[in-house]
Amino acid sequence: MRYGYGRPALKSSVDVQLQTAFSDGNWNSVIRLADKRAKSLKDPYYEAIKVSAESQLDGAAERGAVLNAIEDLVKQKTVPDIDTIELYEWAAGDFIGEEIEYADTLGPLRVKWAKANPKSPLAMGCLQSCLEYWDLVSAQQISTALDKAHLNSGDRRFMFWSITLTFLLSISPQCSGPSRKVYSLLVAKQLERAAEITENTPKVETKDRGLLTEEEVCLYYRVLLAHGNKDDFVKRVRSGGLGALVLLEKGHKLLFWECLDALEPWGEWDLIFDLCRQALRLGVKGVTAPFFVCDLQVWKRFIAAASKAADPEAALREVQDILKEFFAIETKTAQMYKKNLSLALLESSFRLSALAQDSAQGDTGMTPRVVQIGLLLDDCFDKLAAFDDVKGYVSILTFEEAKALVDVILPKMFDSIPDKARQVILKSLICKIRYLLATCPQTLSRHPSVVDGETQSQPYRCRFCSNLTSLPCRHCLQEIITEAAETYKQITADQELQDLIPRLDKDPRQDLALVVGTSLLKLSGLKASSSSASGAPLRDVQPELLLQAILLLDTQLGKTPADNGLRLLLAQLCLLIGTTSYAQQVWIPMDVKRTIQDALSPLFFDRISTLSPALFHGSRPLMQPLRSYYGNSLGNAPPLKIWDAFSSGSYTSILDLSKYDSRLRTSCTLVMTLVEEARATRSFGSKVDIEIADHPLARDIEDDTLLINKTDYGSFPNLEGPLGPQIQEFVRLGPELSNERAHIAFLTEQFFDLLAYKPPKDYKPARPHDAAIRDRNYALESLTRLNHSLANLIHIPSLPTLLTGPEMTHYNVVFLLTSALLASLSTARGDPTPKTLAPVTSSIRTALSSLRTSCYHSCPPRMPPTLFALTDMHTVAHLRETALAVKHSAGFILAFHERELARDRSGKSALHRDVVSEMKALEAVGSKTLAETKSHLQKLKELLGEGGWLDRILEWTFGREEEEVEREGEGYKAAVLDIVGGRDAAEEWAGKMLESWRDGVKGWLMVRWD
Amino acid sequence: MANFRRFRPEDLNKLSKCNLDPLTETYELGFYLQYHAKWPSLFQVAEDQYGNIIGYIMGKLESSPDVYRFSEHYLPWHAHITAVTVAPEARRLGIGKLLTEQLEAAADANDTWFVDLFVRSTNYKAITFYKSMGYSIFRVVKDYYGDHSSDPTKSSEDAYDMRKPMKRDVKKEHIREDGEKFEVDPSDVW
Repeated sequence: MRYGYGRPALKSSVDVQLQTAFSDGNWNSVIRLADKRAKSLKDPYYEAIKVSAESQLDGAAERGAVLNAIEDLVKQKTVPDIDTIELYEWAAGDFIGEEIEYADTLGPLRVKWAKANPKSPLAMGCLQSCLEYWDLVSAQQISTALDKAHLNSGDRRFMFWSITLTFLLSISPQCSGPSRKVYSLLVAKQLERAAEITENTPKVETKDRGLLTEEEVCLYYRVLLAHGNKDDFVKRVRSGGLGALVLLEKGHKLLFWECLDALEPWGEWDLIFDLCRQALRLGVKGVTAPFFVCDLQVWKRFIAAASKAADPEAALREVQDILKEFFAIETKTAQMYKKNLSLALLESSFRLSALAQDSAQGDTGMTPRVVQIGLLLDDCFDKLAAFDDVKGYVSILTFEEAKALVDVILPKMFDSIPDKARQVILKSLICKIRYLLATCPQTLSRHPSVVDGETQSQPYRCRFCSNLTSLPCRHCLQEIITEAAETYKQITADQELQDLIPRLDKDPRQDLALVVGTSLLKLSGLKASSSSASGAPLRDVQPELLLQAILLLDTQLGKTPADNGLRLLLAQLCLLIGTTSYAQQVWIPMDVKRTIQDALSPLFFDRISTLSPALFHGSRPLMQPLRSYYGNSLGNAPPLKIWDAFSSGSYTSILDLSKYDSRLRTSCTLVMTLVEEARATRSFGSKVDIEIADHPLARDIEDDTLLINKTDYGSFPNLEGPLGPQIQEFVRLGPELSNERAHIAFLTEQFFDLLAYKPPKDYKPARPHDAAIRDRNYALESLTRLNHSLANLIHIPSLPTLLTGPEMTHYNVVFLLTSALLASLSTARGDPTPKTLAPVTSSIRTALSSLRTSCYHSCPPRMPPTLFALTDMHTVAHLRETALAVKHSAGFILAFHERELARDRSGKSALHRDVVSEMKALEAVGSKTLAETKSHLQKLKELLGEGGWLDRILEWTFGREEEEVEREGEGYKAAVLDIVGGRDAAEEWAGKMLESWRDGVKGWLMVRWD
Repeated sequence: MANFRRFRPEDLNKLSKCNLDPLTETYELGFYLQYHAKWPSLFQVAEDQYGNIIGYIMGKLESSPDVYRFSEHYLPWHAHITAVTVAPEARRLGIGKLLTEQLEAAADANDTWFVDLFVRSTNYKAITFYKSMGYSIFRVVKDYYGDHSSDPTKSSEDAYDMRKPMKRDVKKEHIREDGEKFEVDPSDVW
């Protein structure tokens, strides 16, 4: 009997004295008494008690004795004693997964016992134990034995445990390729037999071996999808006994959904159309609840399938007929479903119009689909999700249709609203739609890119305003800003309106500020991170517009602090301009904790060590919540709650939990957590507790592991068209997390770990010569592995689009360093100079030099140099990291050389003199760069200590006070000032920015520079 | 605008619209997965057209352990609503009601006597919502919450244990008219 992870109970036949000593943990007494009993009673169980008690002592030999005992037990041909297995499993707990593998030792012992005693309740305990160590091979064997032993028990779980485990094994790396094939055939056959029983039995009873419950049927379909073929799947979906609609009629929707998911990639549109039609009709006829499958996704698939039918027009008309039936069902249905129906009608209008290919009706643009958008908005424009509902449709309208929407339908709707509050809501929606259209390419027409022999910077003409432009139209954006700001002012000036706002779903000023803010960001020249991977992120940006946007969004957040979309946007922008400590203040109130960290933490923590290492010096370790989340969730071998799913008969949940567990173990956010923390630890010269590759959370990460990014951008307030880059692409510092970046960063940390390794001080090898050879071989092996792995990544053609420019340079240098170190260590003193070394070191110097240039000599003319320096700490961080890598690599080689010289006076085992001189030169370059960078930051700190900064920041934001007269086309500056409350009010914000920049620079001077 | 379907673990990567709202608690991973493992049909989500979760309900089926069978606080086989939340942008569309109705359907399918839930006694909006759906106060659990949602000077707050009878309870034996008058201690609540 096991009690969780605690001590097992001893057999009841054991005497009280020994029982008491055992339960008290009085191990020396247990050993003495058990030894005595073993000798007198000749019962090996007492020997097992003794060995288990010894495992609790401190001595390595005593602790390890249980491993030998287990090995002996495995070798025995007889069925082991279950109590002995329990004892050994408890005693060997710390060694499992380290010294011994459960699947090779205790798992097979449990299998042997369970097979001999399948009807015993303890056999189920054996299954549970195997699952606790995620030993699927043993668990599957036990479950098969249990199933055979309980054929007529009526407990269906045994049969489906066996099937589920066979399936898990058939897709698990725990099983070799050929075995996987056998298991996949086996599970498919088992379930096929069960499916036939269900199809051919009028009423399946509990005792039958057919498929009965929703979970059992869904398990069958999952297996069919994984191991069957399309035809079998399709045949079964259509069948009368186990078809997708059968369960639907019984009130179970899961299978219907999963079938649609499976059929879509196969292009089985006829079947999708038929299933959706029948399913929806079940609701109309009252077989199921009316709106049971009235989900938008079902309608969208139904409509997509109709548009691919042989006679699409007729099919789409049928869709619309069914829609009408739903509209007619009742008026008191939930708003949610009414909206789904309206959106489905809109979707079908778009499909129909695509068929007619006459979306533009003459010059008016008043097509049925535009009218449909108007009708939908008329119904729900005051709902928070109205913009998101129509965004996808508006963005694919032709220009004529868009113009009709903006010039005719929306103004008409506006005029028909008597209520002032609802008017401003519509006004803010109109601003959002106008912004959306300004980002859509169909609103521009091509203009000759070369006129009179001169290349034009604005190769388009905006069809709304007729101005020459690039995408998005600057003139339109300026107009949108002015209009949104005007409405914003109107609300602020109208007390009656302000009194009405609490009754609305949302203060319209939030959306208006967002329109102004994002328009300013676009006008500033901010590019999507995927399109501007190289160089400083703000190199081509008009700083004043970017700062105005940040000021405005910050002001709005101060007024509506519950707006998390705005908060996310502002936090990212603050990271982008280097006001990191302020970004943290903006981030914290969202209280991102526990489960949502994996999806949301990258929005703040990604690259954080390259922006502000000072944040790691807070009262609580910065990454601790993330680390503890992963520790709690992945600390044990099996997926969390897997036994709960087994014992509840939730077979699809078992598969889901297993899949999710694998995903979480290979999360990019997890690697980000380890890398950021390791970098910060190195920055401050703190002792690394554990090398990154040995971290327990990294145990599933191999070179070929696909690391998955699941960052959740869903809460970003996106006004962008769905076909172009989304707002997060513009405000993020560089490309998002990726498999490649996670791997290359992880390998780079391993490289730094190798360079930093020092043997314990008291380590004195008995045979120094052998030890030196071992050390050299170890270094060569490690470097070869790292060099090979890094080469595979560095040579990926798309890598530059997945990294920032400084990252690309840094990782390239690290790769080159592994090559240089390999060449250095593998060249004997008497060999010719390695030919590869000079070009490699030359490339390293060039790369370092280009980073220096990026840092110190590339400030664009329109950017104030101090602002450029403050907003580009990411490059500074990589210059420092690269210089450190160069310096430490050279130091690593030179230290090796010195050790060899000291050990072997003949000098034969020392390194080549050219290598040594090359490394000395590299070390000097690294040191010089570090000193230079530190001095650069020191100067920056001194500069920030001077007075007059608030004025200067406001000058960066709005220009000089005396120059505040608008330049042509900048009519919006006054509008921004109005919203934020004037220049004086902006001063408070400038103070916050200044403070944060100062904090950041101060933090950089706290890191180690030697 | 929305789909209703069973929760899938990967939905945990799309919770921000619900869980960044301060009124929605974020739990440890095991808590969500336990519900998915044990009562998958009682863990339902609403998702928007972009795959974001805009509402969810977590429920379970249970009865008090047998040892309490003769206690006056014994709870027979019933469904319990552990959490129900709707993202701010998706409110006023009836999503909370639809999710609750779906859980009630599952409760009926599992032949339960009633559905119950706990709500802060000052959460008038939620109480009104549940009353409109047929729930009534069964008892007041004194000082159930270790803080007070609206009064920082108080260190605790009562909970209302609200119930709605299911089809099985034909005689309406498991609800009472004047539940506000029945006060119990948190230790009486299983």
